[in-house]
Amino acid sequence: MKRILIPIFYTLLVRPWLKYIIGVRFENVKGLREAKQFIIIANHNSHFDTVSIMASLPPKHFLNTHPVAAGDYFSKTKVLDWVSKNILNTIHINRKRDASTGNQPSTIDVLNGLLKQGKSLLLFPEGSRGEPGVMSDFKSGIAVLLKRNPGLPFIPVYLVGFGRVLPKEKTLIIALNCKVRYGEPIVPDPNKSVDEILELTQAAVKSLRKRDERRYDKFAFD
Amino acid sequence: MNPDFQNMLKWYNAIPEEIKLVFFFVFALLVLTSITLFIFDRIFHNKITKELIQRTNSWWKIAIGVFIIGTFPRIYGTVIVAFISYSTLREMLSISPLRASDRLAIFLCYVAVPIQFYLAHVGFYNGFIIFITLIMFMLIPIILVLSGNTRGIGRSMSIIPAILIVTVYMPSHLMMLFHLEFKDFLLGGTGLLLYVIILTSFNDIFQYTWEKLLGDKKEIMPKIIPNRTFGGFTLGVMTTAGLAVLIRFLTPFTMWQAVLLGTTIGICGFFGDVLLSAIKRDLKIRDTGSVLPGLGGFLDRLDSLIIAIPIYYHIIRYIAQLS
Repeated sequence: MKRILIPIFYTLLVRPWLKYIIGVRFENVKGLREAKQFIIIANHNSHFDTVSIMASLPPKHFLNTHPVAAGDYFSKTKVLDWVSKNILNTIHINRKRDASTGNQPSTIDVLNGLLKQGKSLLLFPEGSRGEPGVMSDFKSGIAVLLKRNPGLPFIPVYLVGFGRVLPKEKTLIIALNCKVRYGEPIVPDPNKSVDEILELTQAAVKSLRKRDERRYDKFAFD
Repeated sequence: MNPDFQNMLKWYNAIPEEIKLVFFFVFALLVLTSITLFIFDRIFHNKITKELIQRTNSWWKIAIGVFIIGTFPRIYGTVIVAFISYSTLREMLSISPLRASDRLAIFLCYVAVPIQFYLAHVGFYNGFIIFITLIMFMLIPIILVLSGNTRGIGRSMSIIPAILIVTVYMPSHLMMLFHLEFKDFLLGGTGLLLYVIILTSFNDIFQYTWEKLLGDKKEIMPKIIPNRTFGGFTLGVMTTAGLAVLIRFLTPFTMWQAVLLGTTIGICGFFGDVLLSAIKRDLKIRDTGSVLPGLGGFLDRLDSLIIAIPIYYHIIRYIAQLS
């Protein structure tokens, strides 16, 4: 049931709503059709990011791609928990490891297990929704995953303008033009060190940023 | 016979002859242009034909849109125009220098679109004329003040209502054309709508052609829009007035009324173009198409219509009251 409903829900409702009402433009999505397994990495400014990237995927990838989200935030209310797990296909992870979670497998191991099962991931390596228009440094987890899975491509995505549509700590969604821009899939060289791969991923996302679009990342004045 | 086919036939027969003639002419012209460009593209493969093909394709979209607005049940037209107005509003708000505290006011602007178009659809003139100009003009500043952030509030108070006027209030006059009544005139809003759209579109083409033909150097506003010359402007407006007399059969106007309307539409079309160019220049958007999605689409197409439509509407409303 879920296998049929989710693609229909995305193709008939979410994508047209994003495209024609909110004003999201999906750029260069075609490259995804050939890809089998991948890790999508993107900059993060808004909860809207996850929804838009999920909606931009071709139908065959909806159920196989798992956005990785912070469990402490998304398990707060039952509704949020249900929506994120069932509609967005989210994997909840623990951002903070303390004594009580000591016996559980680490985040990296959980994600690595999913990759070994053939699933794809959507990661925001900045860790949290930072300030709009400012890209903070990537956490090293993404590089470790890529290092452990040689031959697995990552797809860089740059998101423009989502910080205005639904900023941090706001609930009102307003329509303003924004973009989801895909880059070409990149397979990192397995001989490189974790730090080098991390730098590569960060540079790939940054290279998709265009200078004259910066003003759409956030409001001109506050 | 198939009932669907019968319905189609009924719908087709209900379209007045004059309207059929105009649409036949427009679509024939488009087919001819498309075929010619297709052949040219096969032979030459250059940039100019590619660009012309793109332009012709957008003309196809406009023609089909106008065809639906003019001949289908009116609710379709209202929904289409409201959607275009909404998209233009979003494009304008996206490029304007606003504040994070303006988000609620921006949201209210979107809410105003269906209300304004509902008022235009049912033809409630008094509500239609004051809803944005009075109610929204008071409501938006109040909402802005309630947000509590006074820094730069004056700028937002003027930008947001102005955008609402240009992108919602003015296009909504199109749907009010369907509520005008003239003695002994059967084409109604469809004829009046076709008239203004044909005149504004051809006005752009005329002014461009005359500028190229004359090649005079006396530019009107070289800082805002280069290549627009006095000669091209004057002759363009005169040609538009001539065309206005020629396609008068779509309207109930006398010859001199048509000349007046043609001239007005020509001048307004020019200033609509200037107005939008000035805004783009201020925001340093040169290549509108690539910077933001869709901007090259709706906003650039609508610029010459924006000022022309309300003025056209109010002149013919006055003419209707005289008749």
